[in-house]
Amino acid sequence: MAEIQVEHLKYKYPLTNKPALYDISFRISAGEFIGIVGENGAGKSTLCQALTGIVPHFHKGAYGGKILIDDLEVKKSSIGVICQKVGLVFQNPFNQVTGAKLTVYEEVSFGLENMGIPREEMHKRIDSALKLLGIYEYRKRNPFDLSGGQMQRMAIASIIAMQPEVIILDEPTSQLDPQGSEEVFQAVQQLTKVGITIIMVEHKIEKIAQYCDRVILLKDGKLVDFAAPQVIFSRSDLAEQGIVAPVYTRLCQALERKNIETGYYPVTLQEAQAVLQPRREN
Amino acid sequence: MKNISLYEDKDTFLHHLHPNTKLLYIIVANLVPVLIGTHWVTTCFIILSFLFLLCGKVAQKSLPMLGFSFMILLTVIIIQGIFREGNVTPLYSFWGITFYREGLTFAVFVTLNVINILLSFAILVLTTKPSDMVEAFVQLGLSPKIGYVVSSVFQIIPHMSEKMATITDAQRSRGMETEGSLLIRLKAFVPLIAPVVMNSLIDTKERAIALEVRGFDLSVRKTFLHAQKRSKLDKMGQTLLFLVLILGILWRIIVC
Amino acid sequence: MSKRSMWSFKLNTAALVLIPAAVGINYIGKMFASILKLPLWLDSIGTILAACLAGPIAGAICGAVNNIIYGFTLDPVSFIYAFASVGIGIVAGVLAYKGMFTSIPRVIVSGIIIACVSTLISTPINISLYGGQTGNIWGDGLFTICMAKGLPMWLASTLDELVVDLPDKIAAVFIAYGIYKSLPKKLTILYKNDNQVENFD
Repeated sequence: MAEIQVEHLKYKYPLTNKPALYDISFRISAGEFIGIVGENGAGKSTLCQALTGIVPHFHKGAYGGKILIDDLEVKKSSIGVICQKVGLVFQNPFNQVTGAKLTVYEEVSFGLENMGIPREEMHKRIDSALKLLGIYEYRKRNPFDLSGGQMQRMAIASIIAMQPEVIILDEPTSQLDPQGSEEVFQAVQQLTKVGITIIMVEHKIEKIAQYCDRVILLKDGKLVDFAAPQVIFSRSDLAEQGIVAPVYTRLCQALERKNIETGYYPVTLQEAQAVLQPRREN
Repeated sequence: MKNISLYEDKDTFLHHLHPNTKLLYIIVANLVPVLIGTHWVTTCFIILSFLFLLCGKVAQKSLPMLGFSFMILLTVIIIQGIFREGNVTPLYSFWGITFYREGLTFAVFVTLNVINILLSFAILVLTTKPSDMVEAFVQLGLSPKIGYVVSSVFQIIPHMSEKMATITDAQRSRGMETEGSLLIRLKAFVPLIAPVVMNSLIDTKERAIALEVRGFDLSVRKTFLHAQKRSKLDKMGQTLLFLVLILGILWRIIVC
Repeated sequence: MSKRSMWSFKLNTAALVLIPAAVGINYIGKMFASILKLPLWLDSIGTILAACLAGPIAGAICGAVNNIIYGFTLDPVSFIYAFASVGIGIVAGVLAYKGMFTSIPRVIVSGIIIACVSTLISTPINISLYGGQTGNIWGDGLFTICMAKGLPMWLASTLDELVVDLPDKIAAVFIAYGIYKSLPKKLTILYKNDNQVENFD
């Protein structure tokens, strides 16, 4: 399993003067579920792309510091090599369809064909990825005939079939309707059972609070904080950081009820329940 | 989704042939008449191609393909029949217009050649799934990336024509198509088409990233999900076609 | 920029993905012209644009793929005219590289050059396939007049093609130039193959 080390990462897109990422350092251990939060333009997507090598190999621009995925250095490896360890799913489900395949099943095979996976192994991987994401029954459909949520699950299945050690989900539900979003979150829950490292950018902050072991808070391309969700969402300067705490946290903040064991405000429904319930019983 | 390809999914021996066999047929059908140099050979191949199309149950679908060339062939017959250089032998004459034997003979050659090309290609196009054809080319040595480009065009064009159809319908319902002058129609259409064009270009960035993270740029030898089988019939057909080609070349060498 | 970068056969992924979009634009142009009953084809806008954005090789591939697709979906004869489309792509790419897509007078000159190249390649095909005709009413009308006046067939055929190609290619280059100018620079640099990652410390 892969450990990710980011050391003094700096990056500037071509034709811009302001760095998109500035002096970012952190470590992620294998199997963690990490959330990335921050206001628009904070550098969330850029960080995601830096972990897969899209930054700098696709965009070019100016790059400093380094990222190690185990002992693979992103700057010195091609995207093709990195993508076998780190998979990326992003917002627009439509643009992630390769456009060259006629069925969902073939669409998932695209990455495997490029990797040179033998045919039998390919069938096994595709079947299990489609079943994991709950879209096995649509395998013979044309990819473009799927709904947004199904299409996005197909995008995740396409990455999962490549068996990366890390999967990055960059706002996977931001362009979906509520039902599509829910489908994708259920799929994400399935992924946690597989045991791979997951890094997720998401505006629905309750989902971050619910799933993540730790949360990265970014602002203006800089890393502000990297801690457990309770710590991040209990910060008093959240509004300045451009994010809103989960509704449960805000409720408990209003009631001034912290979790006595941790000393932080609760971030999920269950936690809030646990904190609030004893008083009701009294 | 609408399919632009002319392929029709049927269960005949032509549909099961390997694309390479049909490609070889196109080469032989168009090269051998040139090698031997008489239009009788062309006629034979036209009949043969038509018989194949009948066997493949796609003869009906090949007629519209001929339709595209019908008009131009008609004008070829008229213009060449009347005006061709070297027209000396009058054949028919009415309303003061004379058709000449030389021009008409030439027009018949042109017509036969075009029909031969059309029908031999029709066999491949009407009975082969585009994705199979692209894969066959890739296995023959075409760059997989170019293969990707060709396959994705088959998907992108239906999307674009759907969008165009929506725009056209909207304009038609407002009477734009029949009423306004050219300038008015242009002013009505351009603002609607421009975003379609611009978005298709802007989307290329994300699609390129999506391909990159699926190993598109890897230089390892790629594998294929579908196995393409060369049947006994393929082997027989290909051997026969090669034989005909060699005979044609020999004929050329001996006669010249 | 070095000479090598213009002729580099190794297109990056963005340039490859540009090609299907460009073929789609060719198709839209063609539909547009036929819906509005314009006396033009407008089916090379995408090819010219791709050449202009990603170089002559991308233009050539775009031209070839364009005609191969038409061959498979409309009319197999267009396979043979792929040569002309490839020529248009290459010339447009070279002209763009030489800075001919920077001002309106230069764009007009580019249109004329592209039309000439297209005519130069198409005419021999027209002659060997159809005895010199193009199938376009205006062009073939001129062809008939020339033949009736006793002009040599090759000349009549060249004029037949040129009279259609000239307005068509000038219009196509103009539209391609308009699209090119309105694309964000952040997008257009992605198609080029000559950018390097700089150090940022």
